[in-house]
Amino acid sequence: MTGTEKFPRSSGVRILSVGTANPPRKYTQQEVLDLYREKDWKIRSIFLGGHIETRHLYLPEPNNGTMPDETPQELIEKHLRGSLEIGPQAIEECLEPLGLAPYDIDYLCCISTTGFLCPGLSAHLVKAMGFRENVQRADILGMGCNAGLNGLQAAAHFAHAYPGKRALLVCIEICSAAYVYNRTLNTAVVNSLFGDGAAAVLLSTDHGDGALAPRIVDFESHIIPQAIRAMRFDLEDNKWSFYLDRDIPYVIGLNVRKPVARLLGRHQLKIRHIKHWLVHSGGKKVIDAIAYNLGITRHDLRHTISILRHYGNLSSASFLFSYKELCREQVVARGDLGVAVTMGPGTTIETALLEW
Amino acid sequence: MKTYETLKVTQEGQVLTVRLHRPESKNAINMRMVYDLMDLVDVVTDASDVSVVVFRGSNGCFTSGIDLKDFSLEKPPDIYGLQKWENMCRQVEKLNKFTVAAVEGECIGGGVQLVLLCDARIAEKKAVFQLNEVKLGFLPGMAVFRLAKYVGLGRAKNLILTGRRLKAEEALQWGLLDTVSEAVSFEDCVHTMVHRLLPFHPEALELSRRLLNECYAVEYEDFIGRFLAAQHRAINSEAFRQLIVEASKPKSAAKALVGQEGR
Repeated sequence: MTGTEKFPRSSGVRILSVGTANPPRKYTQQEVLDLYREKDWKIRSIFLGGHIETRHLYLPEPNNGTMPDETPQELIEKHLRGSLEIGPQAIEECLEPLGLAPYDIDYLCCISTTGFLCPGLSAHLVKAMGFRENVQRADILGMGCNAGLNGLQAAAHFAHAYPGKRALLVCIEICSAAYVYNRTLNTAVVNSLFGDGAAAVLLSTDHGDGALAPRIVDFESHIIPQAIRAMRFDLEDNKWSFYLDRDIPYVIGLNVRKPVARLLGRHQLKIRHIKHWLVHSGGKKVIDAIAYNLGITRHDLRHTISILRHYGNLSSASFLFSYKELCREQVVARGDLGVAVTMGPGTTIETALLEW
Repeated sequence: MKTYETLKVTQEGQVLTVRLHRPESKNAINMRMVYDLMDLVDVVTDASDVSVVVFRGSNGCFTSGIDLKDFSLEKPPDIYGLQKWENMCRQVEKLNKFTVAAVEGECIGGGVQLVLLCDARIAEKKAVFQLNEVKLGFLPGMAVFRLAKYVGLGRAKNLILTGRRLKAEEALQWGLLDTVSEAVSFEDCVHTMVHRLLPFHPEALELSRRLLNECYAVEYEDFIGRFLAAQHRAINSEAFRQLIVEASKPKSAAKALVGQEGR
């Protein structure tokens, strides 16, 4: 490794495939408000702000027309149950096109922020899906929306260190297992924003048929320790409740140029050389902040905006949903450059540079 | 600054003057010129010693428009060259410098399109503007997107659909131009105008220009968020911090007023 790069320049690690999955039930914002019989106009206006239309969620069935209050125990169980439904679906969709099975995976990295388990999710996935008994594993918990790129770092380093071996990254977020309905504006913001989803990507240097697949060129991280409390889990009614400071979109906007400039600068690149942007669908305000601070357009952010509209904020899985949309468009050409940006608690901004 | 086959580029202080220069064809726009302009924009973007870019013609003419000699009957015309032109135009429109179009004489077709990209537009009295493409049987590029925003739909239809010639004085009335001067005093006019722009804050310029360019197609509820994101960046700049430092000094208000009158 030369200079300040965070990933070996010679590395041929590529993202070979992507799969995603969501819970079967999809709700409009209005349907959620109706289910919870929400009358408070302030809370209603947060839900109906216009940037999110639908989300896939694991919501309980109404009992005589009222939504049951889920106990902490029920939320923990929902996280595991949901994870073991959509996690394997995303993994299968990722592996199937390559003719691979869980048995062929050498390294499994599992990301989740919406539930704490012991043993970790990766152990449950091994049992449920038939990964090898000697698969290497890592579970990354509690890092929040940016964690998909933190996991990509770990998986990419494994794939680089062991050429030809296969690393699988799985982000599984059951955000509805971290909902608290206490009719405060703070929980309303969270309950109106986050959705449930899982995404998996396979990384390897073994590029088989040479199909178009982005090479991981470099990573750059940024943490703003002064804003460590700006996004965090608190306990409310003995349940995890996510707190989002109202200034956070602006803090991220002001700081996002720093890691992006470092990432691009050491490869003698400018923002105008970047053809594709995979930005975390954090919310309307933070997407605006990134657009006007990086000077990138709504078109550059079309996947980010579309994922937010149709799925909500899927925490660590969001940017991989954007990646899948980009793949579907079939507009990427060999030699194109892309930048992934995820942001979350810490306050953290993670970035990666990709080359197709 | 580099030299180009179809452009004459000179720098005086922070002001870069780019002259379209093809004397054999009244500065007609060919593919070579598109590539030259693309390269120029790339270089200028990173040139920290340039603040203002002035686009001009040469030999008393801005440009006679697209050079049809570039097309050949041998192969079917493709759209990609024209797409390159549009990409180049977009880069000029988004350039991180103050852009000025200074027009003398004929400004036809692609020339008018270039004028529409610029932050400030001035001309001498005898300058004439014409979008003759529709009259000839094709389209005036993305002037179909930009022109109406300057002059309104009716006037845009009038100019584009009839292909009539528009004199500088009328272009001024329409709001297409900011200033029109006598031919003899044009150099002075350009010089004064450009130096009145300096100094400015490139970030505030870029952000405001982007919002203005976007403002016609967005609902207020969407636009306010974008405005706040942009304004937040502006008020966190070093320039704004200096303003606060100045304002906190005694008598600063009086000084600021005097300063403004001086301009």
